[in-house]
Amino acid sequence: MPSVICTAKASYKKQLGSLELTEAHLQWTQDGKKAPSVRVPHQDAASLFCSKEGAAQVRLKLGLINDDAGHNFTFTSTPQGVAYSERETFKMELTNIISRNRSSGLLAVAPTTTTATTIAPTVATPTLKGPVTTVSSHAPTPLPASRASTSRAASVASDGRVAILSEQDAAKDFRLRKKVLLASPELLALHKELVMGGQITEAEFWEGREHLLLAQAATENQKRGRSGQLVDPRPQTVEGGEVKIVITPQLVHDIFEEFPVVAKAYNDNVPNKLTEAEFWKRYFQSKLFNAHRASIRSSATQHVVKEDPIFDMYLERDDDELEPRRPREEVSDLFINLGATLEDHGETGNEKDVTMQAGRQRGALPLIRKFNEHSERLLNSALGQGPPSKRRRTDSADKQNLLSQIEYDDLQDHESSPGVLLEMQGRQRYFEGQFGNMGEQREAVDVRDALVGLRNGLDGWEGRFSQLRVEKKSSDAALLSMTQNVASRLDIKTKKSDFPPDLFRQLMTCQTAANEFLRQFWISIYPPPSDFPTPSSLSSTATQRSAKAAKMAGYLGKTHEKVDALVRGAGVEGVEGGRVVVAMKPILDAVDHALAFYRARNVGGGKAVGVKLV
Amino acid sequence: MKFYIDNLPIVFPYDRIYPEQYAYMCDLKRTLDATGHCVLEMPSGTGKTVSLLSLIVSYQQASIWLSFYPTKRKLIYCSRTVPEIEKALAELKRLVKYRVSTAETPEQREKEEHFMGLGLTSRKNLCIHPEVSKEKKGKVVDARCRDLTSSAACDKGRADPGSVELCDWHENLNKYEPGNLLPPGIWTLADILQHGQDNGTCPYFTVRRMMPFVDVIIYSFHYLLDPKVAEQVSKELSKDAIVVFDEAHNIDNVCIESLSIDLTRPMLDSAARSVTKLGDKIEEIKKTDAAKLQDEYAKLVEGLQESTTDNSAEDPFMTNPGESNLNVIMLPDDLLNEAIPGNIRKAEHFVAFLKRFVEYLKTRMRVLHVVAETPLSFLQHLKDITYIERRPLRFCAERLQSMIRTLELNRLDEHSALQKVASFATLVATYEKGFLLILEPFETDNATVPNPVFHFTCLDPSLAIKPVFEHFSSVVITSGTISPLDMYPKMLQFTPVVQETYPMTLARNAFLPLVITRGSDQVAISSRFEVRNDPAVVRNFGSILVEYSKIVPDGIVAFFPSYLYMESIVAAWNDMGILNEVWKNKLIFVETPDANETSIALENYRRACDNGRGAVLLSVARGKVSEGIDFDHNYGRAVIMFGVPYQYTESRILKARLEYLRDAYRIRESEFLGFDAMRNAAQCVGRVLRGKTDWGLMVFADKRFARADKRAKLPRWINQYITEVASNLSTDMAVTLSKLFMRTISQNPNENQTGVSLWTLEDVEKAQVKQKEQALLHEQEQRDMDDMEEDEYGDGGIGDEMLGILDI
Repeated sequence: MPSVICTAKASYKKQLGSLELTEAHLQWTQDGKKAPSVRVPHQDAASLFCSKEGAAQVRLKLGLINDDAGHNFTFTSTPQGVAYSERETFKMELTNIISRNRSSGLLAVAPTTTTATTIAPTVATPTLKGPVTTVSSHAPTPLPASRASTSRAASVASDGRVAILSEQDAAKDFRLRKKVLLASPELLALHKELVMGGQITEAEFWEGREHLLLAQAATENQKRGRSGQLVDPRPQTVEGGEVKIVITPQLVHDIFEEFPVVAKAYNDNVPNKLTEAEFWKRYFQSKLFNAHRASIRSSATQHVVKEDPIFDMYLERDDDELEPRRPREEVSDLFINLGATLEDHGETGNEKDVTMQAGRQRGALPLIRKFNEHSERLLNSALGQGPPSKRRRTDSADKQNLLSQIEYDDLQDHESSPGVLLEMQGRQRYFEGQFGNMGEQREAVDVRDALVGLRNGLDGWEGRFSQLRVEKKSSDAALLSMTQNVASRLDIKTKKSDFPPDLFRQLMTCQTAANEFLRQFWISIYPPPSDFPTPSSLSSTATQRSAKAAKMAGYLGKTHEKVDALVRGAGVEGVEGGRVVVAMKPILDAVDHALAFYRARNVGGGKAVGVKLV
Repeated sequence: MKFYIDNLPIVFPYDRIYPEQYAYMCDLKRTLDATGHCVLEMPSGTGKTVSLLSLIVSYQQASIWLSFYPTKRKLIYCSRTVPEIEKALAELKRLVKYRVSTAETPEQREKEEHFMGLGLTSRKNLCIHPEVSKEKKGKVVDARCRDLTSSAACDKGRADPGSVELCDWHENLNKYEPGNLLPPGIWTLADILQHGQDNGTCPYFTVRRMMPFVDVIIYSFHYLLDPKVAEQVSKELSKDAIVVFDEAHNIDNVCIESLSIDLTRPMLDSAARSVTKLGDKIEEIKKTDAAKLQDEYAKLVEGLQESTTDNSAEDPFMTNPGESNLNVIMLPDDLLNEAIPGNIRKAEHFVAFLKRFVEYLKTRMRVLHVVAETPLSFLQHLKDITYIERRPLRFCAERLQSMIRTLELNRLDEHSALQKVASFATLVATYEKGFLLILEPFETDNATVPNPVFHFTCLDPSLAIKPVFEHFSSVVITSGTISPLDMYPKMLQFTPVVQETYPMTLARNAFLPLVITRGSDQVAISSRFEVRNDPAVVRNFGSILVEYSKIVPDGIVAFFPSYLYMESIVAAWNDMGILNEVWKNKLIFVETPDANETSIALENYRRACDNGRGAVLLSVARGKVSEGIDFDHNYGRAVIMFGVPYQYTESRILKARLEYLRDAYRIRESEFLGFDAMRNAAQCVGRVLRGKTDWGLMVFADKRFARADKRAKLPRWINQYITEVASNLSTDMAVTLSKLFMRTISQNPNENQTGVSLWTLEDVEKAQVKQKEQALLHEQEQRDMDDMEEDEYGDGGIGDEMLGILDI
């Protein structure tokens, strides 16, 4: 039992109980029960939220990596002061844990999605780089390793550390594999059956599946861009007509980036003229802030806005003229230069009607400009500055680009592949035969003869037609066969899932396992052209491969036994054994084929024999 | 590939060809052979421009080695916007390069290499003078350029270097032989600019002076349709030239625009000031150089005709299409032969005349109620009050131009208001029918401060284009969306020899048009005036954008029916928090009033699409972005049309135009409005496709799109793919369908398109053989019909004749 760091009385989902923080988990146990009903490993903790000081209930919310909803605990110790101090203890510990989680790079999410410690209106201290004070025993060993011990793969854990991807370190590689397995239940089941069952090694299992790991690694390495949302702190009204705005370090950072003028004001005034808190307080009440808000409904907030000698200095007039306040370089690319069209000929005609005059809603213009600028800023933050707009299209790369914009790709003949020739015995004869027939037919048709023949054939048709009798028996038979056909189809449809679920699962397992063996077998026989990096230890030599093939062949050989066992099992379950045989026939055929091939190969003298597919 | 249509060898610069392109080229050739006009609608993004150029260049180049094509016909290719002009030039450049590379003999090769094509645009776009090009307004660039390059300035400057500032780039052109300013080949606008910079020559005048020597000239509609410009730029073009109006779906509007003028009070004030200045200048010249005025007077007595020819001989390509207002208005021939009336021949008389006219207009502006009158009644009133006759008024623009030339005025942009008044005078005195004068004292109905505007509005688009149809033998009107086809000949008053629309052949449905009529909450959505600001409708529009921003990769373009609506809805969405949802998935860019600002937004939009971040572009149908900018491939995976882009029906000008269309051409108001809205909607939506491997969603969000009469006005190639199911959807259903579509379309196409929607050379030949067979069969049938009056079933059965032979 790991040692408990701190504990407190807390309710969870309106049930009373106690909350404990141990070295590895945060757990909550309902009163009167022994086992904890909530158990969160440290690595899963992603974010922390607390209720405000002085709120009716002392709450703490823990967000998880895969689950933003997280868990909500209410500290129930009385008086509230005690509960509060208990919460603080938990908060401190958890904050450290979370920050360690983040710094260990486990989270793909950039830290911008923030721990929003909500203490208004002071600025929260940055919690992200707090020192690791507790849980020192766990120090910097990669977290997945510690998790491995808890997983059921205990027996193969050491084996599992072998790196599959050469350039990854073992721990990371293991984590990747785990993620891939968790993401796909079928693969997990197969892994459980084969690798943990000790039938094939971990490395063998992943051979041929490297792409899954690479894909996973690529996804994780993808850097997530900044969130697109506008920086628009919306004030919350609390009782007493006060307006509160929650400030987080992230928000401060965003504001500075979005509105450089605020950063300038901050540099000019803090801490000489204003304290930090005062600065923000006044900013949010100033006209400047109002001008920065992304809304045209500014009249509603008008009464809160005060004259402010400091901030009003930084105020710029609204950017609501038809032309932007800040002149920009002209776009040089003529393909998207709208101004060129405007200047292409003198203005003619009557003015546009009211609805088609751009910029008549002056209030909306600053907003629209803000959108464009914000989007541009986001783009620049990800891609660097835009293309140098001064430049003329001269270099060859640009010419290429120009062409690519006007070219029709699908009209180009990209050296279409000649296709695979159909290998067929006696091809010549086949085609000749066809032609021959056709030729004969052609010659045979002589219109006049045919017409004469037709006419002769038509002689006396009336009499013959009246004698026409449709025989009853044959038509009945036809109908009957059709009915039977329909009935049998219906039969099949209604009796769809007639294997008992248990047996069905067994069948499935047997099938997938056999498939896996087959895959391994054929891989060892025909190694795939490897275009992705495989570690040198695994790029198996011919001898290794033949050994593996032999092993797999051995496994495959047992498939028949397994199926027989299933057939017997089916008998017990009350299912006709024959149906199981039918169901497993394809896989057995495949296995037989593989085995036959293997035997033939061995008899033929191993590697030297040319391989021929039937 | 190379193939023949009839006997004409065609070089098509790709290995494959779409069946539509082939059909298009056949019809185009028919038109050219018949030396007639045609209207052709070809689906957007199926390579209209390249087929057009390919055929016409083949036609031009063939004319020398085939005896029965008499002369090399020049191609005048008009497009709407500079991006489109530049693209057409690039296509032409690629085509000619291909022709050169595939030429069979050295002579042929040389001939291809000598093929020349240029694009023309304004001074503003082509100027490389370090100071002048910095000017923001095209008008100012024109005026300053004129001061540096006019023949008077040049004469003075050359005679006495340093006395007058001249433009070095323009002067450098004189070092070259005329007609040899550029090596032959195709020059895009960017190329020309580069060439000018490298050689220190003026790109603008290079193009202007080379115009008589080129095989293809590409410029904007206005240069041919606007009489003020056409007189200068396009007068010299020979009658057998081939004229193409590409992207011609709005050609009627361009026609109307080129003959309409607005006058405002500030303009009249400025014109009055100009008149005073002119008067002062005349007094001054009288003292210093009275002979000059006398000269002019003498010339005018001799006749107008001479004076213009004199002028054009003097500096043939000096005037700029961009500045336009000064120039002669293309008048009916009888007028050109008349001399300027006596009472305005003397400069001081003319100034007094102008003064009176401007004063009269100012008085009219004081009226506080709306006035609408015909030109005739206006002239009558004018005569009653001021004794100004119609005849001198007609020559106003001409006379003003002559005077400005005589006085050698600088900085003409300062006199632009007066030039406008003069143009107005000439137009109002020239045309009796098809025009209306509307005085609107207030900008909007509820405005209280008067801001009077005097609209002189053209109602009949056929007036402006008439000279083009009369002058040129073959005029091709083509676009991706020009349905219903018969509307254009009706409105523009011409008889096409070929009128065709092509369906889109697709191996798999590459685009999915959807009509969303209601939100997920089943509330009907519409941009109808009464409901468009209803919060439920606004929210439902918003949720369409949100849902699509979640599921569509890369770029989404959304179009609104008007700027007013877009601006108000963007603000409303922001306050409702709808845009916050969109921000989570994509960046947002919005069209702004400023063209350059919008271009930058567009550039960034493209970057965001290339980068994979994805973006939404909000813009306006009929706006700046909706014309000339392509949203192909990742730049537009979905286009959403919020509402039906109807025109503002309360506009008096529109009302007058509708009335005129009804009376003159029997086009009903609702029919025209519907047609106009749908062609713009189709135009917006068609921007997402380019080529047949490209795919996109087309969302029509308005319940009125569900009506059959609306849908019938969409081009056939779009309409044919709107299924019954997809014509009346709620948002959630539409999203489900879209997801399904994207899942299918994102897979590799298994089926080979070749032969169906993509033809190889063999396919073309096969089609030709079939065509020939059918033609023969047709001929045979015709003959048979003539021979005997029996019915032919055409079912390939046994002919009656054959049965007759039989002896039963």
